[in-house]
Amino acid sequence: MKKIFVFTLFVWLISSGNAYAMHISEGILPFNWAVLWFLVAAPFVAWGLHELKRLSAVDISFKPLVGLMAAVVFIISCMPVPVPTAGTCSHPCGTGISGILVGPAISILITAVALLIQALFLAHGGLSTWGADIVSMGVVGSFAGYLTFKGLRALKANLWIAGFMAGLLADWATYTTTSIELALGIRGDSPFMPLFYKILIAFIPTQLPLGILEGAMTAGIVVLLYKKRPDLLVKMRVIKPQQIAALVITFLLLVLPASYTSASGEWGGVDESVVEKYAEEHGRPARAPIVNTDQGDLLLFVFLLGGAVGGFAAGYCWRRLMEQKPCRGLKP
Amino acid sequence: MQLFSEHLIKDHILSKIDARVKIVCALVLLGMVLSYRGYVFPLVVLFTSFILCLVIKAPLRLVLLRFAEPLFIIAMVILLKFLFTGQEEIFSINLAGLKITGHIDGLMEGLKIAGRILGAVSIITVLGFVTPFTEIIAGLSWFRIPKGFIEILMFAYRYIFLLLEDAFVIYQAQKNRLGYIDMRKGLNSFGLLAGTLVIRSFDQSQKTALAMIQRGYTGNMPGLKHSPLKMGEAALALLFIIFAGAIWMIQ
Repeated sequence: MKKIFVFTLFVWLISSGNAYAMHISEGILPFNWAVLWFLVAAPFVAWGLHELKRLSAVDISFKPLVGLMAAVVFIISCMPVPVPTAGTCSHPCGTGISGILVGPAISILITAVALLIQALFLAHGGLSTWGADIVSMGVVGSFAGYLTFKGLRALKANLWIAGFMAGLLADWATYTTTSIELALGIRGDSPFMPLFYKILIAFIPTQLPLGILEGAMTAGIVVLLYKKRPDLLVKMRVIKPQQIAALVITFLLLVLPASYTSASGEWGGVDESVVEKYAEEHGRPARAPIVNTDQGDLLLFVFLLGGAVGGFAAGYCWRRLMEQKPCRGLKP
Repeated sequence: MQLFSEHLIKDHILSKIDARVKIVCALVLLGMVLSYRGYVFPLVVLFTSFILCLVIKAPLRLVLLRFAEPLFIIAMVILLKFLFTGQEEIFSINLAGLKITGHIDGLMEGLKIAGRILGAVSIITVLGFVTPFTEIIAGLSWFRIPKGFIEILMFAYRYIFLLLEDAFVIYQAQKNRLGYIDMRKGLNSFGLLAGTLVIRSFDQSQKTALAMIQRGYTGNMPGLKHSPLKMGEAALALLFIIFAGAIWMIQ
């Protein structure tokens, strides 16, 4: 009975009309912001076209491949995925997987094509927001997916983990960039940061779990390609692992000293910098906890204990959790 | 498949107009809607677009489907602007310890954005209904959009339908084998479906390239030929833009 209910709910969610993508809808951005995002996106699209010309001169089948990948990204980003926590459907980006397979330059081009078709015929995104959507989904999404995948593979991470993190971060990076673009476009005279946080929080119920689902989907695709068609993975354009490692090391060398020399010293968590700050501003300061665990390493010990108990329980019940249950009611 | 409204290619007044003229008019109108500071112009555009949809007998369900997502975005934007931006408070309530304040100037700003969204979406909806995609591609090539982009667009458009059919067949097969019986299996099946589409696209691209090479493809598609632009249509477009501009001036 429970399974019938879950299945019906699943089908209803899939067939429901509302689907909330990460595209910025037509007309949201004022004229000046729409033009600005076009100008930001243009050099990246030009780079993609340049790479397309260079690679198709080497391999004559490259353009049909890119066209078909654009069709796949279009279809994937139109597929409704039910998001249980939000009780509705949303769409994956597809740019994480395209960034992994064809590289960020071509992925940006693919995204531009898919977004144009969606804008004209599905009212997903828009012509005026085409530039902004290319920046968020194409540029940020593709780079996030590509660099995460390559970086993790250079660190010898498992294919599934690398694919999952690439899909997850591509999705979340896209949604964060969309929130920035929306906040900048609709804020008017209001300050940017509070509106940005509010938009971000408004998207969390849908986009946070969707990122996890997209990560799982990306990992599944990569592993399937590895098992069934490893020759296709060999065809991927790859940055050398030494270059990725150098990039990561350079980034760490630049960021870590900067964080230690910053004037504010210790970084506060989001609990203090966002939640407590707004609560105090609205006359609801935090009170002292009933049980104060902020004594030495007591909190860490409690977490460690909880993790150990949970891990032991999961290990003890592993077979029961993971093995397929026999069908009830079907007797030979 | 109603995805591209190909079934709406009927004999009406707008189908006879050159696609290039329609694209220019749509883009100019879009620019006007986005740059308008008031409420009137986008609503006039919305109303006119609905009338046009009725004239060309576009199915109401399809029209409403095009507006479904923008309407959700509008609701979100109005809520955000009303509750979180603005200076003039109209009400303030305490709900379970949370202070909720409504701002009239935020609401008006939200409604302005809503009008802009509706006006802009209606322009693109009408353009999509009255212009076949192949004509739009031809129009874009006339506007000197890079050739590589046009070729990728043509390939993508050509193979979306093929891949959608493949996706539907795979989905049906998975459903018949209880592939979507619970969330975990559903996700697994969805990942397999997407992965299979990627593999199919790779294989199809090789076949397509081979077939094209055998027919003389050298890596670049031959240029699309365009019929000369009719001066009458161009003059009509100019008059339309001037008329729209006159209404736009009423700010």
